[in-house]
Amino acid sequence: MPKCTIDGKEIEVKPGTTVLQAALDNGIHIQHFCWHPDLPVDGNCRTCMIEVEKMPKLQIACNMVISEGMVVRTTSPKAHEAQRTALEFLLVNHPIDCPVCDQAGECYLQDNYMRYGLYDSKIELEEKVHKRKVVDLGPIMLDAERCVLCSRCLRFEDVVTGTNSLQFVNRGDHTSISTFDGGKIEHDYAGNLADVCPVGALLSKDFRFKMRVWFLKEHESVCPGCSTGCNVYVDERDGEAQRLRARRNPDVNKSWLCDPGRALYKQIGVTERVSGARVRGAPGWAGTSVTAALDRVAAALKEAGSASAFLATPQGTNEDVFAFKALAEAVGGALDFRVGDPQLKVQQKLDNVLQHVDRNPNTQGCLDQGVGKDGVDKILAACRAGSVKALVLQGPELLRTPEAVDAIANVPFVAVMATHEGPELDRASVVLPAAMWAEVSGTFTNFQRRVQRLTAAVPAPGDAQPRYELAAGLLSRLGKPLGAVSAREVFALVAKATPGYAGLDYRGIGAQGVTVGAPAGGAATVEARA
Amino acid sequence: MATRVVTVDRNQKSGVLPILRGLQITFMNFVRSLFLRQASTVSYPEQKRPVSSRYRGIHILTEREDGTPKCVACFMCATVCPAECIYIESGERPEKTIEKYPTRFEIDLLRCVYCGFCVDACPEEAIIMSRENDLVGTTRAELVIDRDRLMARGKLVEHGAGYRPDEHDVRRPVRIAALERLKTEHGIVPGMPAAKSPRR
Repeated sequence: MPKCTIDGKEIEVKPGTTVLQAALDNGIHIQHFCWHPDLPVDGNCRTCMIEVEKMPKLQIACNMVISEGMVVRTTSPKAHEAQRTALEFLLVNHPIDCPVCDQAGECYLQDNYMRYGLYDSKIELEEKVHKRKVVDLGPIMLDAERCVLCSRCLRFEDVVTGTNSLQFVNRGDHTSISTFDGGKIEHDYAGNLADVCPVGALLSKDFRFKMRVWFLKEHESVCPGCSTGCNVYVDERDGEAQRLRARRNPDVNKSWLCDPGRALYKQIGVTERVSGARVRGAPGWAGTSVTAALDRVAAALKEAGSASAFLATPQGTNEDVFAFKALAEAVGGALDFRVGDPQLKVQQKLDNVLQHVDRNPNTQGCLDQGVGKDGVDKILAACRAGSVKALVLQGPELLRTPEAVDAIANVPFVAVMATHEGPELDRASVVLPAAMWAEVSGTFTNFQRRVQRLTAAVPAPGDAQPRYELAAGLLSRLGKPLGAVSAREVFALVAKATPGYAGLDYRGIGAQGVTVGAPAGGAATVEARA
Repeated sequence: MATRVVTVDRNQKSGVLPILRGLQITFMNFVRSLFLRQASTVSYPEQKRPVSSRYRGIHILTEREDGTPKCVACFMCATVCPAECIYIESGERPEKTIEKYPTRFEIDLLRCVYCGFCVDACPEEAIIMSRENDLVGTTRAELVIDRDRLMARGKLVEHGAGYRPDEHDVRRPVRIAALERLKTEHGIVPGMPAAKSPRR
């Protein structure tokens, strides 16, 4: 383990660590543009200049591997002057259109100028080289003038997606990035280009002009788009989710997030949400309170007893699934969750980057908790035979399945917990408003059997409640209370009851999650395309 | 109007004399306004007092030559506003050099505290203040003024422009504060700002 000294601080690092990585890990900031933790080192921006003792010239911190006894100074006058000069070069042709630039507030140029620059520009605005602005690249908007030519996007396209859509064109100070023949970017990971771009050259078209970033509050969460369980930030303002952003987790998604995942925030604030409970009466639907609706469901369950069936959803958190399972066991009905066989797809990769075929975030959690018991087909057969008197659905998946329509029509009482309105809800007798993933706290277990935590980012609409609270409400009405109120308390019960989860603590899971047992199906982390 | 300073001795013993002294002042004012036409009041609203050229009255959104707003919807004013009375929605502008403009720009004048921070924060001199200080409306909604009304106010001649940004006063402290922070937090003292190179 080589030891080195950075700015007088003794640091012991793993062999092969670069100065920049070690400095950032130890709270010493060195400005950088082209270096990215999940991309290969390029060393083209020359802004991370440092002084290394016994080396005659300044070195770039991002490509300087630490050796034993190295003494590094990042703020010496010589290093600082070099950092400042390098920054000034990057800004020579920058249009300084921060007022209209969406990157303002999270821009490396702004941050580093305030920290390392603070000089008066030597270039008049009219002398600057002008390049293409407002270039539509499909999901991304390109502004070549703002580009600092760090090549992060090129390396991302090369190493992660292997698509190589972007390249440098022209020479000298006319160099800019461009797609071939101005074509659009067509892969599923374009949003990451806006994320990796340290400046405002590549920006998300979806987020364009929507919000200044300093108004946003970030909440740590997990993408519910598929079984990969990418770590995300939900950026929200005044209870309205504005965008999803990748949150770095080296073991799951590195720094990436797919575009379908990124778009999922749009489902949160829509008007088609189920915001109140409703019950089907003689004339049709009647809106009611959640309490009254739960009373009705509890009464139906009491009457049906073991002639009831329960379908959990892999869209729910581990806490939701646990509470639902407890409900099914308290009533004594049949239980399953495998509508459309997600358990077969949970390990199947959709592409070589992130996505999995299973579009549910918590199939593995359902499997771990043993919710797959009686089989959906068996439950449907029982429905057709008329031996199911009450059916409780944790999600509306089964209602959407065409093959199940006749079976459900045969059940006298169907309760469904739903987040969004849809024609399928008309097949139910009671609709309970459920909160979505961004509105609840809890945990998902991804395909690697990694338990990861979500935090509630935005308030649920109207009367909507987390599914575990709905299930807990039914349990207390049946005289068998769950004995836990918050997600943390329910998770303590999950950890006790689930094989492999023993000893897990809701807070101890941390921001990055904890892997339980051996990942089923091998260590299938995100593989960078070779 | 020159201000007259009156010193009052609070320890003066009460008696008839101070009362008479007070009556004398009242009587003198009465004579002055009745016979000499030197009233200290004005006939508002027909008559208005002159106010400072830096008076912070109702806002004006300035225009470009083609009549479009100068504002680029950067949200600086909305960010700095302590009363949170500015609401902006931004949209795509056809010209590629400017890109962005406000599709909605509303100021709730009933919430506004007329601090002038929005004027200081604006990088485009798009929001300035007028010298108009009488705010009259019959409903609350009437006093939430939108983009077009804010822009139309630019043509007001009767009150004229009031508070406007002063490059020297406003930007300098921001930079001095940044330099100070650099020194105290990071121990970095950047070299003196380089002199501007002579124009080619």
